[in-house]
Amino acid sequence: MKVLIALLRKEAVEDLLAARGALLFFVSSMVLSAYMILLMSNTELSLMDSAQAVYLMSGIILTLVSLLAIIRGSDSFAGERERGTLETLILTPATGRQLASGKLASILLAWFILLIICTPYLWAVGWPTGYFWPAFGYLSLTGTLLALTFGGLALALSARAKSVRSVLLVGLTLLLLLGSPVLLSPSLRRSSVGRVADLLNPFADALNALDSAVIDREGITFQIVRLTLMVCYAIVALWILYGSTKRIEQ
Amino acid sequence: MNAVKVERLRKSFDDKLVLDDVSLSVNRGDIYGFLGPNGSGKTTTLRILLGILRQDKGNVNLLDMDPVTCSAELHRRVNALPESHGLYGWMSPQAYLRFFAELYGVSLNLKDAQSRLQQVGLNPDDHRPIHTFSQGMRQRLGIARAMVNDPELLILDEPTNGLDPRGRREIHDLFLTLNRERGITLILSTHILDDVERLCTRLAILDRGKIRYEGPLAVNLDQSGRVLYRFHIDEASKVPAPGCYPNIRILEVNNGWLKCELLGVSAPEALRTLLQDGVAVSEAARLSGGLEDLYLTHTRVNLA
Repeated sequence: MKVLIALLRKEAVEDLLAARGALLFFVSSMVLSAYMILLMSNTELSLMDSAQAVYLMSGIILTLVSLLAIIRGSDSFAGERERGTLETLILTPATGRQLASGKLASILLAWFILLIICTPYLWAVGWPTGYFWPAFGYLSLTGTLLALTFGGLALALSARAKSVRSVLLVGLTLLLLLGSPVLLSPSLRRSSVGRVADLLNPFADALNALDSAVIDREGITFQIVRLTLMVCYAIVALWILYGSTKRIEQ
Repeated sequence: MNAVKVERLRKSFDDKLVLDDVSLSVNRGDIYGFLGPNGSGKTTTLRILLGILRQDKGNVNLLDMDPVTCSAELHRRVNALPESHGLYGWMSPQAYLRFFAELYGVSLNLKDAQSRLQQVGLNPDDHRPIHTFSQGMRQRLGIARAMVNDPELLILDEPTNGLDPRGRREIHDLFLTLNRERGITLILSTHILDDVERLCTRLAILDRGKIRYEGPLAVNLDQSGRVLYRFHIDEASKVPAPGCYPNIRILEVNNGWLKCELLGVSAPEALRTLLQDGVAVSEAARLSGGLEDLYLTHTRVNLA
């Protein structure tokens, strides 16, 4: 446990001190601020239903957490390898899995910081119409599951890759592929192929769960299948991470 | 009793063979020099010893443990200074040592950390981030980190790189103290011959992935004042037999190098004799009879 705490502390401080960590939080707040300004100043957006506005903002936050998990995960082992610091870490009695746990915990910590940054924006949009709590609850849950899935996969790749760039390329391509069905027309998404693709896509599962809970005001029983699938994806990602960090080589 | 025993080690990266049939043994309490030119396979050997690379073939044993299967236990008793130092530039040196102490399960308060810094010649009250440190200071901090768990075996990759002569001497003294007072076995991978001459009791010379020499250092320090020369001869050239020239004594033919003692004859005359005899000499150099000769004799000119 002491090892895990030491690693988490180091990762957290490194992330906050490094420009890349602070930049991600800054960019996130800028994106949400821009969205808020558009909501208030743009004629068409200001006429949008409040539930729709909350859902859109939640979608932005889910995209941000997925990006955060992939960027942080990619940089973890491969970045340390590039900077020449991984060798000293793997020379310690800490196992590869302990190192991976520390790095995954730091990704979760970054997600919680991001959630804290996003909460006032979500509150401002959703509180007056009562959409805040369902959106916040589902966002916390699905965001954590996405952070575990994407963070776990990026860490697993990073443990084996020689460069950050290659892991980042694979991670962002995967996110693009998972995000693209969401942009399909509603009729296509309602077809049987579209439904299966949506169900098998963790990113779409998270958005659909939010859609169902916030816009359609449906209870948790309607989201059980999607959430169970998301939990399964997170477990598979952690299992892959467990396998790839059994032994870390320089 | 062996601290390290390596038998018939072989390692390739893709199709390139980097270690071929490497065998060596280091006794407990030794300061062992691991010499070789750049790219000879020293770092790869050390990484295999430390269990952070896996060999294709061969056996490795450190403190009676297999580095792969007993990784955690081994890393509690062994430490290393890699060539890259592995420093976090944003940390203060005290925080850096304490972070690694936590990973090793060693209790290290601020005072302990400061005393460890002082031990390697760093200012214990310097709290600046490591990225502001000079190369020599980084090297010293790396050494302090490598000693944080009081290891029984310390493996150092180019430990005196970037140090000025005084700093190098101080680090030599520190290594000698660690070896004599605490009984720590040290393996020094280096291409700085002075480090080996001052510190080591035994050495291995690695070149192009093969051990070219392994043995004690003392017998090689020939200070007799003989006039020794080495001549590089082409692969297709005739190789002269010992005793074939009255004024050139052939001492050794190794790896394309001819080691000779000149008996009352000048180097140009000796060269002329060899060339007239059909020996295709491409390079000649005087030897001083010490470690440098041993090194030059057992390693090839880097043409890259």
